[in-house]
Amino acid sequence: MNQPEISTLDRKGASKRGTLSGQSLGLILGVLPLVAFMGVFFFWPLWSVLWSSFEDNFGAFTLKNFEVALGEPYRTAFSNSITLGLISAITSAIPGAIIAYIIESRGSQKLRQFIASISSVLSTTGGVPLAFMFIAAYGAEGSATALLRAFGINIYAGSFTLYSLAGVIFVYSYFMVPTMVIVFSPAVHGIRREWQEAAKNLGATTAQFWRRVGIPLLFPSFISSLLLLFAAAFSAYATARAMTSGSVALVPLMIGNLVDGNVINDQMNLGKALAMGMVIVSLVAMIPYLLIQRRASRWQQ
Amino acid sequence: MVFSKLKSLPLFLTLLIAGLFVLLPLGSSAEFSLRQPTKQNHGFDNYVWFISQPEFGHYMGVSFSLAAVSALILLVLLVPTVVWLNLKGQKLRPFVDFITLMPLVIPVVALAIGAQNSLPEFAQTNQFILSFLYAVLAMPYAYRTLDTGLKAIPLQTISEAARGLGANWFRTIVRVITPIIRGTVLSALFMTLALSFGEYTITSLLHWDTFTTWVTVISQANVMGAIALSVFSLVAIFIFLLLVGLFIKPAASQVAKEEE
Repeated sequence: MNQPEISTLDRKGASKRGTLSGQSLGLILGVLPLVAFMGVFFFWPLWSVLWSSFEDNFGAFTLKNFEVALGEPYRTAFSNSITLGLISAITSAIPGAIIAYIIESRGSQKLRQFIASISSVLSTTGGVPLAFMFIAAYGAEGSATALLRAFGINIYAGSFTLYSLAGVIFVYSYFMVPTMVIVFSPAVHGIRREWQEAAKNLGATTAQFWRRVGIPLLFPSFISSLLLLFAAAFSAYATARAMTSGSVALVPLMIGNLVDGNVINDQMNLGKALAMGMVIVSLVAMIPYLLIQRRASRWQQ
Repeated sequence: MVFSKLKSLPLFLTLLIAGLFVLLPLGSSAEFSLRQPTKQNHGFDNYVWFISQPEFGHYMGVSFSLAAVSALILLVLLVPTVVWLNLKGQKLRPFVDFITLMPLVIPVVALAIGAQNSLPEFAQTNQFILSFLYAVLAMPYAYRTLDTGLKAIPLQTISEAARGLGANWFRTIVRVITPIIRGTVLSALFMTLALSFGEYTITSLLHWDTFTTWVTVISQANVMGAIALSVFSLVAIFIFLLLVGLFIKPAASQVAKEEE
């Protein structure tokens, strides 16, 4: 997903402030095309979803869409999607953080750059091709499955299938772990060697350094990266659709079914209420993410 | 070469596990896509099959032109705006940072529903509406790439010099600043191309057919062909993006080199 890390947001650069007040019209004109574009193709469509989610089929105000959206089967879908987001974020964030730490602390400059570019490429994968790739590799007939079995790991020993929630989480890790490496590396990089040396000079052991300095410093960044991963897994559509083809109830897929007319519902704005539900869950995850990133970027330069 | 620099066992183990994690599914699915069940051997039958489909060329063309238009829209819109923000518009920066980040925060499904709900008929019946929506989705990445690139050059001095020599704003941006940050502009361009080419959610929810939705369609007729096509498109995009990363130097190192 994110090539340029989002922590570059709000860096300094605002050295020249206070242009003449007469120029403020010119100031606005400079960004007008971009603001107008985002207005027409992003904010206007979202506003229309919000508006329509409170309308019945005849355009009158109603809360019925949200009532239905909070009931079954949509309640289960929301709980599945949130579970998927949480488990997927945690299972990808921990290995991602460890990889980021080991590469940043022990790798050469060249290796770090290599890992960064590979991670940024992998983080953009997804969609239907990724689903087919995993079905081919880790399906019952796949050679990855066979190879793992040869090493004594039988992924089908339990009740695991690729077409379940666990399978989707497994597939998502292919782009989530690299995403974690990208967003978490700047934080690890920010733990400066001098701090570790300063702590050592003051008599701290390595364990003490980590308990008192390292982990408290990294923890906010870890949580914020986790939230970003949660939002990505929670709202992913294409891979989940290709993998499960409806066998797992997830909110984005249910919205897709309503839009495609696969599921008939007499409330034509139900899909919009579900979409607003997704927007709210995403905002709950992303607002703390942005706030933490903003604070963390102060010492990560 | 890299291996001689390995300083420790943890690093080696990390690279080994990460390497397996990345390459095992890739290699294994490539092997799978070369299987020819009827002949009991390996070969390029599945690849020949999808390339010989008339839709292959057609959808490649459709997806490529949609992606090219979206990259063009984004650059024409963003390059002048980001230059302007870095030169004069510092006050508006937090606001613009915020609105360009929002497409990352809002689920794509919600935007797709909104587009279907709000855009006028003439826009919905023209496939190039997708280019505009792809541009929205690529906005957070392209904006930040360009912004980082522009911060790395002495923009104020360069634009004053160009203006002092009699260039107007249009000439300054097109003939002076853009060539200096060409590396950054190109990486924003290629990133937008790659993201747009692979977009699926909006495309399928608005019921358009492109290269990515075609993969789903052919999987119903020929699974092996769909798998071969998936491996082909993933590997092609990997190689494309890696080459872009290798050959296009970021603006900062470019300027440093030119100053030496």
